[in-house]
Amino acid sequence: MTYATQRTTVPVTVDEDKCIAHKGCTVCVDVCPLDLLAIDMLKGKAYMKYDECWYCMPCEKDCPTGAVHVDIPYLLR
Amino acid sequence: MSNFQAAESLPGDLTARLADADAEVRRIAVMELPYSDEDDILPMLLTALADKDALVRAEAAKAVEGFEEPEAVSALLGLLHDPAEETRRAAADTLSELKDDRNGDLLLQAVGDNDPFVLAAVFRALRPLRVPGSLAPALSGLDHPSPQVRREATGVLGYLKHAGSLGPLTRVAMNDPDTEVRRIAVGALGFATDVEVLPALTHALDDSSWQVREEAAGTLGKLKLTGAVDHLIAAMGDRYWQVRVRAARSLGRLKAVAALEVLSAALTHEISNLRKEAVIALGEVGDPRAIPALETALKDPDPDVRKLTQLALKQIQSANPAR
Amino acid sequence: MNIPEPLMMETDILVVGGGTAGPMAAVKAKEKNPKLRVMLLEKANVKRSGAISMGMDGLNNAVIPGHATPEQYTKEITIANDGIVNQKTVYAYATNSYRTIQELDRWGVKFEKDETGDYAMRKVHHLGTYVLPMPEGHHMKKILYRQLKRTRVDVVNRVIGTRIITDKQGRAAGLMGFDCRTGQFTVIRARAVILCCGAAGRIGLPSSGYLFGTYENPTNAGDGYAMAYHAGAELANLECFQINPLIKDYNGPACAYVTGPFGGYTANSHGERFIECDYWSGQMMWEFYNELQSGKGPVFLKLDHLAEETISNIEVILHTNERPSRGRFHDGRGTNYRQKMIEMHISEIGFCSGHSASGVWVNEKAETTVPGLYAAGDMASVPHNYMLGAFTYGWFAGENAAQYCADTAAGEVDQAQIAAEQARVMAPLNCSNGIPPSQLEYKLRRMVNDYLQPPKVTRKMELGLERFAEIGEDIRHMTAADPHELMRAMEVQHIHDCANMAAHASLFRTESRWGLYHYRADFPQRNDEEWFTHCHLRKSADGNMESIKRPVEPYILPLDDEEKTAYQRLRVVKEAANV
Repeated sequence: MTYATQRTTVPVTVDEDKCIAHKGCTVCVDVCPLDLLAIDMLKGKAYMKYDECWYCMPCEKDCPTGAVHVDIPYLLR
Repeated sequence: MSNFQAAESLPGDLTARLADADAEVRRIAVMELPYSDEDDILPMLLTALADKDALVRAEAAKAVEGFEEPEAVSALLGLLHDPAEETRRAAADTLSELKDDRNGDLLLQAVGDNDPFVLAAVFRALRPLRVPGSLAPALSGLDHPSPQVRREATGVLGYLKHAGSLGPLTRVAMNDPDTEVRRIAVGALGFATDVEVLPALTHALDDSSWQVREEAAGTLGKLKLTGAVDHLIAAMGDRYWQVRVRAARSLGRLKAVAALEVLSAALTHEISNLRKEAVIALGEVGDPRAIPALETALKDPDPDVRKLTQLALKQIQSANPAR
Repeated sequence: MNIPEPLMMETDILVVGGGTAGPMAAVKAKEKNPKLRVMLLEKANVKRSGAISMGMDGLNNAVIPGHATPEQYTKEITIANDGIVNQKTVYAYATNSYRTIQELDRWGVKFEKDETGDYAMRKVHHLGTYVLPMPEGHHMKKILYRQLKRTRVDVVNRVIGTRIITDKQGRAAGLMGFDCRTGQFTVIRARAVILCCGAAGRIGLPSSGYLFGTYENPTNAGDGYAMAYHAGAELANLECFQINPLIKDYNGPACAYVTGPFGGYTANSHGERFIECDYWSGQMMWEFYNELQSGKGPVFLKLDHLAEETISNIEVILHTNERPSRGRFHDGRGTNYRQKMIEMHISEIGFCSGHSASGVWVNEKAETTVPGLYAAGDMASVPHNYMLGAFTYGWFAGENAAQYCADTAAGEVDQAQIAAEQARVMAPLNCSNGIPPSQLEYKLRRMVNDYLQPPKVTRKMELGLERFAEIGEDIRHMTAADPHELMRAMEVQHIHDCANMAAHASLFRTESRWGLYHYRADFPQRNDEEWFTHCHLRKSADGNMESIKRPVEPYILPLDDEEKTAYQRLRVVKEAANV
């Protein structure tokens, strides 16, 4: 079987200037009920890895520096 | 595997991170403390409550919620004077979550404070504890120049339900310059058992603020004061339908036959919440003379009103089996 | 090929699911017997998981002395559920609901109170007063976590369960699953298992087409329903689907019941009210559906007639608790409650007894039909149980499981089931040439919409079963690139099981009941003579799905004729008014 690489915009974005994942913070990753966020170990920043969002907001509300922003997924907007 | 790692297994000993030179590292470690496997986190939280960084102190003040130990309460009381507003707020919020009335004494030691913010926070924390010792300070708090303090002091008295505070609460309900203080006082009078409070509550039905009038109309129904019927009937002419809704509900609770006319008149009001409440009240009053008006309400555009009308008619029938 | 060793763990009571019922069950089991080891397993993180991950704005079934009685509540639920009710289970909830509220209050949950500290109740149900607002409901999960820590429950996060282990006597003896971050296959031996896995909220596809834009938290994929089924438990009245009225596209609750006391209501395009009562029931959804399809449709939440201070109050409540992204959705569309009505729609189908009545069958002790296996919350069959029912039945499950452990010795387990499950679960990671779970899931759920969304039609449901069978073949050749995708692959299998159960159960009951939830276009009448009965579904001895009738338990609170006719009259009046 052959697979395609399709691009998709993700609802959760991280302001890398504010993100303090490199200081040990994993709050947004921990609170996501669907386990969609991850820390990019090279950059030391959080990012949305999978587009499977319930726009439920704990990642944004619990972020200690206000770095995370949740948009309504485009298909619903 | 890819360049990410399971976050919950990130390296770094929690104790070491709590002592890190970087305040942000310490703050994140404090956030994690309540969810960590550590058994005894209180000493670590106490250290963090005294951190040199304000955000770490604020985070610790949030994380210490649920601890009722005197050391924690004392530390939080101290943070009410913190130079950073965020820390002061966090400390006040956490204090308001206290459940153990044995902390009443510690809180009462702080009621002599001159700072209105501190005093308001202490009263707010005292309210749910309902300790008898808070009666006297709350009574004197009613005359404090800060409305915030007076609001919280009034709240304490409502929860205490002590007969000795009815007189002062009556005075506050009638005269306090702050709307919210008056509203809380009017609600607080809901624990009264005699007609002594009637003048204050009927006075509040003419208050300049509709929220106070709404609260008064509700409290009169809760107390079931029959002497209030005429005043509640008058309140059915209030400019605000929210007040009339409460008045209608209270007239129903009082089974006020004298209110038949005003309640029936409310059946044509444009707001269906009021029509609904009037229908329920007419059912509770149980007087067959309401039947013609209710029969008209069977054609109400709101199905909820129609349904409640059915129930009200049934209620009237069973109250008057002869018919 | 090398087969990695499973990770072996052991506990006395295993609670599966750390949302609402689960933490309560774990805490109460531990309080009942602190010597027992209690493990709480969660596929996300207990900090923020389950249907109340962001909190809840109020209780809508609080039975508080002075406002309602357990007897009255039980009768109302009996009527709301068209009589198909085990009253004992509802009554057990109703008599303990106040104890649960007081316990949550002690733990720090804030309920709305008046200025003397008495609970401030609001009205929604037909007769009694059951709504108790929770102005600061967003603290809920934090408060639960504190109790887990206090009672020393072992919390294990990021492990998804796939099958229950049963011993040679057919009793629950643990659970198998894997870590969704490392892929580590995990075997947990336990003497009792409590399933608190939430609703099956990912059976149907939201009309947006976005797989995760569901009404329920999409982690609630029906894992508990599938695991209970394969363990041999009976499931009750699955044909009584969950379908809810929602904000269109956003797919979150419009919360008419929250806005009702402030004067808001559900309206048609003329701005007129058309629903009897905003309390969610099959009858209400039927009225909603008809209006939606009629010339007066679509349907809206109407607030634009309210005063400014009322609307800002409503905004604070609706935009901070249960689904806080709601405000952002409205902003994006330029919808302001002050000027515009909010367009509504109906949700995709699901199973959830918390809202309707479709769940794993339990009795008033939260026991399933499998010894040692308990269930509580949205996935357990007590109708209209909501959040407070989840807490209350979690409490029952915890205490009864603790008692069961005291009375029962651990049984012997056939190791073959573990090896077989490991092979089944890990297969997608070893398949480099199959269909990805997301594609399979989309197709499966789209077919569910096409063939199972009410009005239900016999031939369509039969065709649906054919499509599901074909998809079942594809599922055997599914691929997963990493442990995360493996979790989705297992969820697709759970969804597939649920879709089959939904069709099977719906075909069995050849009548219409529960309004829209089970409206069969080719059997449009309610038929009490043949179908005044529970319908249970289970895995037969030969491994197939079978349905059976179970008589409705004798009522402990019979409805007298007057109570019945009161309701019948209401319906007649309603119909007459529509003419």
